[in-house]
Amino acid sequence: MIDVILMLFGEAVMFFGALGILRFPDVYTRLHAATKCDTGGAMSIILALILIMDAPGVVRAKFLVLAFLIAMINPMVSHAIARGAYKYGVKPKVVVDMYAWDNP
Amino acid sequence: MSRVPFYLKERLGTLRERVLREEWEASKLPSWERLVLTWAVLMAFWVVVSGSFIINNLALGALVTLIIAAFMRDLLTEDIRRSGNIIEKLLYFAFIYLPQYLVIMAFRLLESNLKVAKNVIFMDINPGIVKIKTDLHSDTGLTILANSITLTPGTLTLDVKKKLDETYLYVHWIDLETLNREKAGEKIKGDIEEWLKKVFW
Amino acid sequence: MAQESLLVSAFYLLVFTAMLITYRVVRGPTLPDRLVALNAITTKVVVIIAVVSVIRSEYYLVDLAIVLLMVNAVGGLILAKYMERRASYD
Repeated sequence: MIDVILMLFGEAVMFFGALGILRFPDVYTRLHAATKCDTGGAMSIILALILIMDAPGVVRAKFLVLAFLIAMINPMVSHAIARGAYKYGVKPKVVVDMYAWDNP
Repeated sequence: MSRVPFYLKERLGTLRERVLREEWEASKLPSWERLVLTWAVLMAFWVVVSGSFIINNLALGALVTLIIAAFMRDLLTEDIRRSGNIIEKLLYFAFIYLPQYLVIMAFRLLESNLKVAKNVIFMDINPGIVKIKTDLHSDTGLTILANSITLTPGTLTLDVKKKLDETYLYVHWIDLETLNREKAGEKIKGDIEEWLKKVFW
Repeated sequence: MAQESLLVSAFYLLVFTAMLITYRVVRGPTLPDRLVALNAITTKVVVIIAVVSVIRSEYYLVDLAIVLLMVNAVGGLILAKYMERRASYD
């Protein structure tokens, strides 16, 4: 029961992340959608897979390592891309920009 | 004429930095504990990824990870500051701190997914970039704090600015509520920083 | 059985989601947009490989997923560094 709920939740979150990448207006808000929805959806789908499959414990531990690596690597690449985009010259559509005050 | 005060200020800055650095160096873990911690982590990774329990495989893994841990013992555990026995430290970390962090981050991640879904449907965004101050100084602690801020609802870390004894983070916030630095830091960091200050410096 | 149909439906929905994001890769206005979309597609491909390895019960495919994730991380970091450098050269 729990695995079905986790799997459906992960699929819904992945779908909303894709819609967010399509609909949001600039790079930084698209990064919000991509990072959070991909991390949450992938981790919940992998937890559902661990509950569903019948395999020895080492294989389940390997899936857990995969989930841990996704949770560590995805936000790191995300803020590398955000900083690179700001230095590249993409202006954010924001109300207040304190980063531009300090680095003119 | 105006050079002298700048010069004095620079000297004072280097002196203060040296005093702080010596304090931090004095409270490090001893080197064999760092070696053992790194070896344990690498050995666990080896066993999980190779996936076989033959005695030859385990011996080869122990040898290789011992050599790697002897070189790389500063990379993973340089920033952990905690006094006490090593068994006590490991027990505290495995049974109190890590489950606390996992529970906090699981509920934050669930909330942030629901919030992104709400923002996608209604498109009620009001973004802004704010600057907040943190009390952490180490690289590992700052990395984990920035990753946790990225996974909490509505925020994304842009850049880190490290000065001598104060660190600032620039955060892209998807619905701007306040511009005050203390209130924004309170709302963004939450209780993750309190947790991180117990383990790292 | 019910769980296998659940896994197969998850596979098709993930492929459909990856094809939705391909629009942003083709038609992104700037380079960082394309990079974000490619990163999201690669994470979805990692999850697709995990799902396929559970469907066919060939568990060595998970090693492939871990390696693909690490390569994606290194590639993303290198492209982000490239964007910073190029801004300073112009």
